[in-house]
Amino acid sequence: MKSNWMAALASAALLALSPTMATAQTAQPIELKGDVKVSKLVVENGKERQVLSEPKVVVPGDRLIFSTSYRNNGSETVRNFIVTNPIPNGVMLAPEGAEAHSVSVDGGKTWGKLASLSVSNGDGATRPAVAGDVTHVRWVLPEVAPGAEGKVTYNAIVR
Amino acid sequence: MKYSNPALFRAHSALGICLAVAAMASPAHAAGVAAGTMIENTATATYGSGPATTTIQSNTVTVKVDELLDVAVAGLTNTTVTAGATNVVLAYSITNTGNGSEAFELTADPAVAGNDYTVTVQQLVVDTNDNGIYEPGVDLVLPAGSATPAIAADSSLRIFVIVDLPAGVTDGQSSQVRLTAAAATGTGAPGTTFSGQGEGGGDAVVGASGASASDLDTLLATLASVTLAKAASIADPFGGTQPVPGAVVTYTLTATVSGSGQAQDLRITDAIPSGTAYEAGTLKLDGTSLTDASDSDAGTASTSGIAVELGTVAGGTTKVVTFNVKIN
Repeated sequence: MKSNWMAALASAALLALSPTMATAQTAQPIELKGDVKVSKLVVENGKERQVLSEPKVVVPGDRLIFSTSYRNNGSETVRNFIVTNPIPNGVMLAPEGAEAHSVSVDGGKTWGKLASLSVSNGDGATRPAVAGDVTHVRWVLPEVAPGAEGKVTYNAIVR
Repeated sequence: MKYSNPALFRAHSALGICLAVAAMASPAHAAGVAAGTMIENTATATYGSGPATTTIQSNTVTVKVDELLDVAVAGLTNTTVTAGATNVVLAYSITNTGNGSEAFELTADPAVAGNDYTVTVQQLVVDTNDNGIYEPGVDLVLPAGSATPAIAADSSLRIFVIVDLPAGVTDGQSSQVRLTAAAATGTGAPGTTFSGQGEGGGDAVVGASGASASDLDTLLATLASVTLAKAASIADPFGGTQPVPGAVVTYTLTATVSGSGQAQDLRITDAIPSGTAYEAGTLKLDGTSLTDASDSDAGTASTSGIAVELGTVAGGTTKVVTFNVKIN
């Protein structure tokens, strides 16, 4: 059962991050779909509620949630499944919750928790990395069983 | 013997108008990424290992950044001005704290609550060469109801408001003028959206400032006023005070400058009364003798009268001129 996700995948992206593309694209079993929503805090009856909506109007300071959904449509277990999201130009990883992610501050060369990373501050010295330094976020799943699906997300703030 | 009336000449009491330009208010921090910027995100996944590693990419999601309408205004002038002054220059700074180029409509309101007097606004002018000096002919006059030229995001424009003081302002009265700047695209409650009107082709959204801001400049009026009093004392040849021929009359002219300003080009003159003759060499200022001849000192005296140049005299000062005449 092919969903129309395959069509979306076939007409995909402008940014080729890695040259080793699979040769038989129609046979590969993983579907990958990206999405973005605007997140706002709404107060209703005195309680705060997070409301997600389509990003129609977006201005600096707005909060976005980027998500990547995956599904294994094949019959074999997929191993060492790593989803990588570059932080786009114009946004920064939101500080709240940043400490839980596996991140890179050097363009994807090295990875770790934010608390363990540092950046150079221009004149030879280094300082601890902060959420605004993050260039990539990634998730590592040891395996994805046939038929399994999931979604990984990260919070961002429009600079 | 008749007393004559001494005369007091005073040039227009003009206190130097100092454009007391406070340190230029630092522009409020701009709202980040430029309006029209496309935020694009594509995810990549890999799986497997070694020669069997597969890489796939997701679709690209795109978000366009809309224009945030935000502005800040700072009043730069808080100064003293002489009562009756015209063409007084009030300076303000307008900062575009949004993220897209925007023009702003300006309103100068002289009727601020608490004013002792109300100035008349003559012109709004843009400091075109941004040198902090009002230069007619160089700086751009904004016709009433027109907006400023567009200001780039995170940039400022200095505006001069030219005002005249009304008549009848007294020493120590103060007046404020409020300059309001409103985004030309629109203002309103934060979050109000103007579809399709944003810089970069998106929408324009009112930011936290409501896309409108204002600030006040203050003028404290000073007025120096001068009063002149004349007294005479008589010493007759017989040790008495009778105004008889041969008696010497000493005239004392007291000029008092009051108020918080200065009297400029102050000059005291008096005519020698008919029936008397000036006693040469008796002209004095604050007890110091002045020569009768017209020379470098402040006084001149002749058979017809005396004149003493006092120049600029600050409020709270008293000057005393004395001279003698003998009754014919």
